Amino acid sequence: MPLRLLDCDRSIPERGKHTYIKDSSEDILPLSNIQTTPGDFTERGCTYAGCMGVVGGPVKDVIHLVHGPIGCAYWTWGGGTRPNLSDNSNFHRKYCFSTDMQEDNIIFGGEDRLYKSIIEAYEAFPEVRGVFVYATCAIGLIGDDIGAVCRRAENEIGIRVVPFNCEGFRGCSQSLGHHIANDVLFEYVVGTKEPEYTTDFDMNIIGDYNIQGDLWVIKPLFERMGIRILCTFTGNSSIDEIAQAHRAKLNLMHCQRSTPYICELIKKKYGIPYIRASLFGIEQTSKALRDVATFFGLEDKAEEIIDDEISKVAPEIEEYRKKFEGKRIFIYQGAPRAWHWVKMFREMGIETIAAATTFGHEEDYAKICERVKDGTIIIDNPNSVELEEILIELKPDIFVSGLKEKYLSYKLGIPFMNGHAYEKGPCAVYSGFLNFARDIEKTLFSPIWGMIKKGDVNSHGELGRCEA
Amino acid sequence: MRQIAIYGKGGIGKSTTTQNLTAALSVMGKHILQIGCDPKADSTRMLMGGRRQASVLDALREVGAENVKLEDVMQIGFGGIKCVEAGGPEPGVGCAGRGIITAINLLEEDGAYTDDLDFVFYDVLGDVVCGGFAMPMREGKAREIYIVASGELMALYAANNICKGIVRFAERSGIRLGGIICNSRDVENELGLLTAFSSAIGTHLVHFIPRDKIVQRAEINKKTVIEYDPGSNQAEEYSKLAKSIIENDGFVIPTPITYEKLEELMIDFGAIE
Repeated sequence: MPLRLLDCDRSIPERGKHTYIKDSSEDILPLSNIQTTPGDFTERGCTYAGCMGVVGGPVKDVIHLVHGPIGCAYWTWGGGTRPNLSDNSNFHRKYCFSTDMQEDNIIFGGEDRLYKSIIEAYEAFPEVRGVFVYATCAIGLIGDDIGAVCRRAENEIGIRVVPFNCEGFRGCSQSLGHHIANDVLFEYVVGTKEPEYTTDFDMNIIGDYNIQGDLWVIKPLFERMGIRILCTFTGNSSIDEIAQAHRAKLNLMHCQRSTPYICELIKKKYGIPYIRASLFGIEQTSKALRDVATFFGLEDKAEEIIDDEISKVAPEIEEYRKKFEGKRIFIYQGAPRAWHWVKMFREMGIETIAAATTFGHEEDYAKICERVKDGTIIIDNPNSVELEEILIELKPDIFVSGLKEKYLSYKLGIPFMNGHAYEKGPCAVYSGFLNFARDIEKTLFSPIWGMIKKGDVNSHGELGRCEA
Repeated sequence: MRQIAIYGKGGIGKSTTTQNLTAALSVMGKHILQIGCDPKADSTRMLMGGRRQASVLDALREVGAENVKLEDVMQIGFGGIKCVEAGGPEPGVGCAGRGIITAINLLEEDGAYTDDLDFVFYDVLGDVVCGGFAMPMREGKAREIYIVASGELMALYAANNICKGIVRFAERSGIRLGGIICNSRDVENELGLLTAFSSAIGTHLVHFIPRDKIVQRAEINKKTVIEYDPGSNQAEEYSKLAKSIIENDGFVIPTPITYEKLEELMIDFGAIE
């Protein structure tokens, strides 16, 4: 019985097809990337959230103008959920605006308001290098021609004004928004500027959003190897970096759910190959360095760096591993981190017993299945009731997920660490791995867990359901 | 208070018919509120002697929803008829449907529906293209619908489609079809065709308004026929229509027919070959 219907899903049996117990003798994946089952209290976001919140938003020197009612804007400005750091003088997502559409703008059309908003925002911040305009649901319905408004505004202010038709209702999850952002940035930005000079060692890092400064530990590793990073798509990126991305010799793809599209587009039009990488943990980071080194012919240099880095972190990691050995983890992330981290945690001595993603596609689940052991629960797009059931049944030693699940985990007395935003990152590559391990230790061994008598309450405050 | 919505294909003569009808009713001493639900805002032009008035949505845009005053958007026209235009966006922008919803809500909030009214008429633009244009059919709004049609295929096609909309809303809002009003185009066998069509969709022909040049003459003079030439035959026809509507008790949930059936009907009456 590979697919499993959780108790809480008896009234929505379709959910059984999204929940799989890994069995290596079979070739089965849970159902994913399809419309939400009615009755499933999903945690999914929308197409606009994926486009603006994930891919477009981190670009540091453009105005991010959300064209729609005011409520669409807040969470996508990184309000605590996505700490995409930038070097904007510690004011990371600096240029966030909304057109704050009102009833009369909906009726009479929002094009004038949008145009005025672009001009007004630009006049307030003339140092910006571009304007990104994001359409929300209401805009899709009233048919504002944001492309035409952007062209008009671009002629007026003389910098790139880029329209994203990323209306929230367009996809089954935020995933389509990533795709739209890739397509639009490729169409409007990539190739619109030539770098001052090029070298044979120019590379882009695609699909890293500089969560808590990941890129600030990733980039130097490659630079030490002699590689020049032309563009980081889109963490701490300037629009000009994206504009010259077509002159790199190689694309290194980190987030493989939100950016395979642009890697393919660049490959097709400019013939630039890409390689996939996991930049978490010692083994995967070393492999990424070696893969890149092989491409550029920098193998010796890479080995030097790998030896040096490993010697700096291995002893500490070994200490952590001893402490963590035998611990069991439940990983629930957007998509790729769920499989990026299976190997990383194994290096810490922690085994994954459950894995889930919010918007993963089949290939994400295939990668999870490849990496986890038999018996692991893999669940697509879990809701909080399902998460509660799994947490109570499996009692993992730690749950690594995001803000939405934090208090569920706390109430169940299960140690929780934020994997979306991190606790105190960066968490990528070797030095970040130490931070990760440190925060896992803090979480696992916090004295608070001893003070909560497990089994006192479940997440609804009911007594006695969750046994210790 | 009877709330009545007039629907029908674009260009069929809804506004002309509605204004002449309400003018005739006013002459009979009825108190009337007429609300134009068309972004063109020309539903009450002849009642107002050609004067254009600020629409509800113009006011909303200029002063904001909280500051819209009824007296600014409701003018008294011929026969004491209270005239309101919902208004709406320019063609090709925004959302006219949302405009109708907002305008009617505002009128309710501002107390336009007073107890002294005998009739409220909604004159709604052409087809019911989206939810907004069905607003007058919703719960608590119009209870009766009359469809203006003529003996042309597309007019009857539109009438049949509007009936589908009525069926949709009939159960939840209690709205009923009061009948078909024929605004004649002088098509052959028109009376027979309209009578047969009405019966096919389960209703009746309320009145057959003959074609008469006086309607255009009155219109050029920015008047309804009732005002322009009260003694004319056409004024008499509109008065008959008004009387039929006052006395009407045939309210039904219509039974729309298929396109094929409609074509057969047209062929039977020699309207198409």
